[in-house]
Amino acid sequence: MTTAIERPTLLRSRVAVVGGVSDGLALHLGWQPRTVRLLFVALSFASGAGALLYLWLWALVPLQPSEDDVPVRRSAPVALIAIVTAAVSTLVVLAIAGEDSVLGWLVIVAGTASVAVIWELAFDRTDPDRSLRYRLGVRFGAVGLLVVAGITALLSRPSALAAIVSVGMIVIAVAVVVAPFVVQLWADLMTQRAARVRELQRAEIAAHLHDSVLQTLALIQNRAGASSEVARIARAQERELRDWLFTGDAPLGTDLAASLRDIAAAIELDYPVRIELVVAGASVAAPGPLVAAAREAMLNAARHAGGTVSVYLETSAGAVDVFVRDRGPGIDLSSLPADRLGIRESIIGRMTRAGGTGTVRKTATGTEVHLHLEVPA
Amino acid sequence: MTTVVIVDDHSIFRSGLRADLAPDLTVLGEASSVATALALLATVTPEVVLLDVHLPDGTGADVIAGAPGPRYLALSVSDSAEDVVGVIRAGARGYITKGSSGADVSAAVRAVAGGDAVFSPRLAGFVLDAFGAVAGEKAASDEELDRLSAREQEVMRLIARGYAYKEVASELFISIKTVETHVSAVLRKLQLSSRHELTAWALERKLL
Repeated sequence: MTTAIERPTLLRSRVAVVGGVSDGLALHLGWQPRTVRLLFVALSFASGAGALLYLWLWALVPLQPSEDDVPVRRSAPVALIAIVTAAVSTLVVLAIAGEDSVLGWLVIVAGTASVAVIWELAFDRTDPDRSLRYRLGVRFGAVGLLVVAGITALLSRPSALAAIVSVGMIVIAVAVVVAPFVVQLWADLMTQRAARVRELQRAEIAAHLHDSVLQTLALIQNRAGASSEVARIARAQERELRDWLFTGDAPLGTDLAASLRDIAAAIELDYPVRIELVVAGASVAAPGPLVAAAREAMLNAARHAGGTVSVYLETSAGAVDVFVRDRGPGIDLSSLPADRLGIRESIIGRMTRAGGTGTVRKTATGTEVHLHLEVPA
Repeated sequence: MTTVVIVDDHSIFRSGLRADLAPDLTVLGEASSVATALALLATVTPEVVLLDVHLPDGTGADVIAGAPGPRYLALSVSDSAEDVVGVIRAGARGYITKGSSGADVSAAVRAVAGGDAVFSPRLAGFVLDAFGAVAGEKAASDEELDRLSAREQEVMRLIARGYAYKEVASELFISIKTVETHVSAVLRKLQLSSRHELTAWALERKLL
């Protein structure tokens, strides 16, 4: 009788020494990572079985998934080790050039230098722990070693085979210089293509929604009358859809226009009112007191006037102006009792304290609140 | 009595709009695409065409280019600057959103029929932005196409703030006729100006 033990899924760790196999395996088996590593090393002495097993697991075990593509970090400087090996082998080539046994060493130089460059391109490129200097060092070290070893062997009247290997090494060296650009180009191309496909898909969906749902929502609002519950829901829905369609995934941030838009949307949900927001000028950060005062003005208009409220935001160099205009019966500031703090405090007082001005003006057809604030350009 | 043709690909919207229009407006016909609109406009000559910006086989601008006779009032659910500027530069005399009430649309149709331009607050805001009025640029003479005069800026600002022409007139102590003249002048600049911001929009939409 066996008892089933809940084991974590076998996944390669994203914080790894070489491939993340040992850590993942240790977690899966409930062993110490050190035990697993020792086992791999010990098995490697049995005709390299450990190394083969490691490579096999590396290829087949999936990488630990991560939410936002956290880069994999590998602590072992494999590329550097390979470069050092290549350098030592190059020294040997320099010493015994001309002898027949140089062929084996040439192959070692070519192999280790290639491993170093491939490792650098495949893994170190996306590893934040590897500096650009380290990566360039690996790349140009490999090129230098390949060229030096190759030319030395060629100059010493080698055997035919050694000559072919030497020429091959020089070709590899050239390839190493070119490869990073090709790899980068390919990666860029793929990213661009994926982005284009996504954009295309989104545009298609947007066009479809635009042609169908938005029209219907507009019609509902039209026929139901601006102040009715149905129109309010339709308008809230329209606003939501429009935000999604036209602003996309762009972060809203603390832009003043976006803040006012959010406030307008919230007020429209609570009151039977239609807030028309017009924005002119560049985007600016939202100054707290101005946003609060504008919110109060819009809320007042929604509460006491209803119908359509026009909000106009203009940001020029050095100043921000917000106009909130309604078509209600209007309020006369001088006739307000002193205890009615709403407008006096929360709009005018707030703006004054922030170093700006707030004015409430009664026109023939309604009320207009004007907020003005100087901002450093 | 003003004669109207409605071009919109949504039959529900067309019938809704038709029912909402004031009784002094006569609808001569409806079309649902660029092709049918051009065929219809070859047989009837309305004073005003109510034109959707997006049509299944093209844009509102294609209709204007194909049948330049009547005056056009663009009507769209979209109020993005590209759409507005695109259709205005193609020759439309005004632009309103589909959220507007039947009375508003009727008033806009009458204004366009009378040769006036119809500016929504949003279009006014865009114009202020595109002509550099926000940055403080001012036209030196009335002939200049790339900037707005001080008076035009005042009128545009009030429209952006939600003032109707009548309210703009009383606010600035000028007649409604003068307001309309200013708005028409701005519309003309919007159509003819070669200001970089505008040509960029137009180029992007392949209107130049």
